[in-house]
Amino acid sequence: MVDYTALLPIGIVIATAVIVLLTGLFIEQKKILGYITLVGLLTSLGLVLKGWDLNVAFDSAPFYGAIVVDPFAQIFNAMFLIVGVLVAIAALKAYGDNPRQDEFYSMMLLATVGMMVVAMSKDLLALFIGFELASIATYAMAGFDKRDPKSIEAALKYFLIGGLSSSLMVFGISYIYGLTGSTNIDTIASVFGANPGLATTPAILLAMVMLIAGFGFKMAFVPFHMWAPDTYEGAPSIVSALLAAGSKKMGFAAAFRIFIVGLIAMKVDWYIAFMILAVLTMTVGNILAVVQTSVKRMLAYSSIAHAGYIAVVFVVVAYDPAPGVAVIHAMTGGLMHAFSHAIGKAAAFIAVAAIAYMILSKDGKVDDPNHVSNYDGLAKRAPMTAFLFALLLCSLAGIPPLFGFTSKFVLFLSTIEAGLVGLAIICVLNSALSVYYYAKVVMRMYWGEPKGEAFVESSTYTFVLAIAVIALIVLFMPLPGMVSPGDLVYQWAEVAAHAVTGV
Amino acid sequence: MGLITILMLVLLAGAILSLLTKTTAQARGVALVSSFGALAIAILMYLMYDANFNTVTHYAFEESGTWMPSIGIGYHVGVDGISLPMVILATIVCAFCTIFSWTESKRPNQFFALLLLMDLTLIGVFVSLDFFMFYVFWELTLLPMFFLIGIWGGPRKDYSAIKFLIYTHIASVLMMLGIFALYYFYGASTGIFTFDIPTLINAYKDGLLPISQFWLDFIFVTIMFGFMVKMPSVPFHTWLPDAHVEAPTIGSIILAGVLLKMGGYGLFRVLLPMMGVASTWFIYLIALFGLVSILYSPFAALAQKDLKKLVAFSSIGHMGFISLGVAASVLAGMDPARVVAHTGAMFQMFSHGIITCVLFGCCGVIEHHTHTRIIDDLGGLTKKMPKLAILMIAGFFASLGLPLCSGFVAEFGILSGSYHTMPIFVILAAISIPFTAGYHLWAVQRTMFGPYNEYLGDVKEIKWFEFLPLAVWTIIFVILGIYPEPIIGMMQTTAEYFLLSGDVLPIGGIHVAAGGAFPW
Repeated sequence: MVDYTALLPIGIVIATAVIVLLTGLFIEQKKILGYITLVGLLTSLGLVLKGWDLNVAFDSAPFYGAIVVDPFAQIFNAMFLIVGVLVAIAALKAYGDNPRQDEFYSMMLLATVGMMVVAMSKDLLALFIGFELASIATYAMAGFDKRDPKSIEAALKYFLIGGLSSSLMVFGISYIYGLTGSTNIDTIASVFGANPGLATTPAILLAMVMLIAGFGFKMAFVPFHMWAPDTYEGAPSIVSALLAAGSKKMGFAAAFRIFIVGLIAMKVDWYIAFMILAVLTMTVGNILAVVQTSVKRMLAYSSIAHAGYIAVVFVVVAYDPAPGVAVIHAMTGGLMHAFSHAIGKAAAFIAVAAIAYMILSKDGKVDDPNHVSNYDGLAKRAPMTAFLFALLLCSLAGIPPLFGFTSKFVLFLSTIEAGLVGLAIICVLNSALSVYYYAKVVMRMYWGEPKGEAFVESSTYTFVLAIAVIALIVLFMPLPGMVSPGDLVYQWAEVAAHAVTGV
Repeated sequence: MGLITILMLVLLAGAILSLLTKTTAQARGVALVSSFGALAIAILMYLMYDANFNTVTHYAFEESGTWMPSIGIGYHVGVDGISLPMVILATIVCAFCTIFSWTESKRPNQFFALLLLMDLTLIGVFVSLDFFMFYVFWELTLLPMFFLIGIWGGPRKDYSAIKFLIYTHIASVLMMLGIFALYYFYGASTGIFTFDIPTLINAYKDGLLPISQFWLDFIFVTIMFGFMVKMPSVPFHTWLPDAHVEAPTIGSIILAGVLLKMGGYGLFRVLLPMMGVASTWFIYLIALFGLVSILYSPFAALAQKDLKKLVAFSSIGHMGFISLGVAASVLAGMDPARVVAHTGAMFQMFSHGIITCVLFGCCGVIEHHTHTRIIDDLGGLTKKMPKLAILMIAGFFASLGLPLCSGFVAEFGILSGSYHTMPIFVILAAISIPFTAGYHLWAVQRTMFGPYNEYLGDVKEIKWFEFLPLAVWTIIFVILGIYPEPIIGMMQTTAEYFLLSGDVLPIGGIHVAAGGAFPW
């Protein structure tokens, strides 16, 4: 008898989604559904944290090796669930009075399920199914404010590009299947490993191009990024939080599995492509973020830049001729950075939602509540929100004392270890450039002239932001007499890195 | 928990508490207790300090704990003859700064909290013995200063604050790459991955890292660049005058008095031991940076119309003496002279830190009372502000290197000690002396003496809370000018250990191969 307890976390999320959807049909007081969602997500998160180092492969029926629960899957599951928790709490405030909130919660839960499936799948088909489940749920969520034309535009763009990228991916997957006769990632890896001659065939090159383009769209690499700012800006802010923090990490989870496990034998084919993409993505993302006037759009571009930093992982892992400590540090740093960015970016979008909410409820109709001029003097009008938002921006900029610094530190460390001095310099200069646009927002908040009287700060939003900030600080800090919590995340990511890279 | 951790916790608690207060009096009260508490602890450490505290590591009050052991990051603090004077300097400056800003009424809670945070982060830099921790504090010093300039600054504060932040941040991140390389090559060769400063520096200087000359130089150059920008050395100095002009008085005092010393401190702590292995060319490069700064600053200062900018440029020159002294002390030459140069350079950090506080304090008082800092608009202030005049004249004379003030001791030591190894550099540096004296005297003459400018209206005398800190700082630099032993003694012990024991640098100094980069 196979022990299925490792699948309990995802099972709980699925069950919660079904319960929320069905209960929503019958009850009037729908706010309770938000709490049910939270309970489900938190229980699942607790189980994931408890079983962080599980390593269970389901090789027999009914999964036939398609699903694996390993530390790599678990750390991504934790990220998705944390983002889900943050978004769910924020949704209590944002959609507390919305009659369709049951749909929101169930879609959010289903999106989380999709993401978790992607993180746990070791088979291209299961991975694709998870991808589609998460994508379709988030398409609908992006258009959740259906009276807002911007939200509709966001959903439409996201849907069209998402469909295109899915088709590219399937195309690439079909070639891989044709070449290897299997959709199992481990089998693919061993077939390619045994036949290095395949690396130069046109079929594998075409498959690689299709896969990189497909994932490039999902992870919003430049030049496949055009949809992302529009979608993140137009979608409701808390949905943007889910997209930028959760959905994008799903792309990385899948790409790590496919490229670093499945196609590692073909690394000479793809690492140059990833190097160019990484440099382009971080540079263009940062430069375009500088000129934005909407804070939400700025966060969208910053999210593109962060995808560029994480893409460095592919380069270092593939570049190092004798895989060793650089590879481990790169993969570990990439996972840690995904982790810190997931928390920081989700909370930053929620902060934007909180600020827009305060502005709309106090100042009445304004053209764009996310315009940076509305942030003038926010430290006086809403001190808590401004303070927490400033700290979140510090984390995104990689300034201590927050976990965003630690994760960036480890990630950039690996570039030097691999001997990629040029890439390292490009990375740190980009990081320095990013300080500029985050600091601009902080400057407006702290020494701009307030445009009106003080706001009443929403306790729910402040609570979410406080949780995220405290988590990021605690993960950074040393504690007397024990290893820091950040070290535990490091160990977790390191175990996952060993599992994925096989070093 | 040792004294250093307690010192930092006192400041951290003070910062958090003062952020929660409502009025100026409350915030000031918290800041006074916390900053003078820190000063008391620093003095206690000074009294308990003994150079032979630990004959193996040569650090006193050492503490180490775990932080992120998996990647070799630890909590490791300690002080020696280089860092303890810097800790004392930081606490003295910040403690009297809280008195100086007695009546701060704009956002007092945030102001005093930032002041304490500034103190905390600076001390953190000076006591850290782990590169990760060192870098964290190094970066953290940017934030309080960014806010001090931004919220309480002058008209072009946006530009200055962001320039300060980005310019020095770029230097720091490049320095980080050097630290990464040091970490990696040590780990790769020994299997022990650690960010511990003494371990890594010792491995580098003993030539234990099996790496190519490119990487040795890469490590040295990136770290040197980080320190040179912070010092700042010409040509990386352009952020400094802008930051000073727009910063509030307290910001300028801390910036010039302590923050710049981070660069100098880094030279002694990190770069100096490495010089034995990196290309000797870099020793001359550091000396050249120092020389250019020394020669550039008086001429730039002569051209200034703004009194504060003049003082800012004077800092650049004085920091240049530190680079020169460090470079000269490591080259092969007469041992007593090298120790004198090295001790002089260390003492210059302390001495300039105190003197410049008086200068910027006087600029701040003048601006506060007359609402202008433009030298041509001032004049004859002795008639209205005799007490200020005494302090300002004392400060400017000390800054130009008058005997009986600590600046003279330091600069005399550097120049006389360096002559044996770098005569040409010293002779060139000496050219600056008349011009340095010139711009100081000229500035004092135009602001303090001559006919009183009636447009200024009825200017009030300096207030007690402005007078007291300036007077205390003045007394300190005069006492140290007459009897420098209390500070210089501990520095000299460390200098002798660095230069003569063979533990840190080769005995007899570093010989430059014939036909080296420089013909002299």
